[in-house]
Amino acid sequence: MAFAATLETSGNIAAITLSGELDANSAGEFRARVEEAAATSPEKLVLMMQDLTFMASAGLRVLIFAKQKMGSDVDLFIVAPQDPVRETMEMTGFHHSVIMLDEYDAAEIEG
Amino acid sequence: MEPLILPGTLDSLTQIGAYVLEVASQAGLERKTAYRLRLAVDEIATNSIVYGYARVGEEGDLVVSAEIGDGILTIILEDTGPAYDPFQTPSPDDLDQPLDDRDIGGLGVFLAIKGVDEFRYEWFNETNRNIFVMKINDQEDS
Repeated sequence: MAFAATLETSGNIAAITLSGELDANSAGEFRARVEEAAATSPEKLVLMMQDLTFMASAGLRVLIFAKQKMGSDVDLFIVAPQDPVRETMEMTGFHHSVIMLDEYDAAEIEG
Repeated sequence: MEPLILPGTLDSLTQIGAYVLEVASQAGLERKTAYRLRLAVDEIATNSIVYGYARVGEEGDLVVSAEIGDGILTIILEDTGPAYDPFQTPSPDDLDQPLDDRDIGGLGVFLAIKGVDEFRYEWFNETNRNIFVMKINDQEDS
């Protein structure tokens, strides 16, 4: 399934919905959405991952880029990652630096 | 299955992934195991393309083949770019650090080598040969 990344911003929240396969070929598109999100100076970046079926290290590097571009005080939420994607983030220690949620939790994210 | 021969460009990653998943399905690998194998092959193929062919400005092919037997599935990935031994890539030593302080290097090779039951590298006949082995009967859900 082809990769897609769409950005929606609302108030101080930027949300990017990811779908399909995120590999080294498609990571540039994800990075472009992150740059667009960063330009709005959000306080929170939310990545909706329920339809993301594959993520290679190129995707992880975009997460590092996002955190370094936006600053450490911007919270990074990962919503509904599929099990193997979650496992990759756990193997590489990314779960320590992001807030992982099983579903979109308005109280947690917007509160 | 017939070997898959593709140009050494990032556009080929999708087809490589589909090939590995198809072979994994034929071998009866559990879904999560198949995913890790596909990820491993994807990461090493990406390095062959980006740090091999693209870095030196060469064009060449990636050849992916598969063997099923003796309770194991073996995927072999070959390229004719510059010699590149993934074991020479240092493992990231900052996996417990916040992302703000992370170095971006080495994650792909780390995931590849960690993700399969056995990984081997050979340089033979001016060819990089990366060998990924998964046990077929290993149903451990880890």
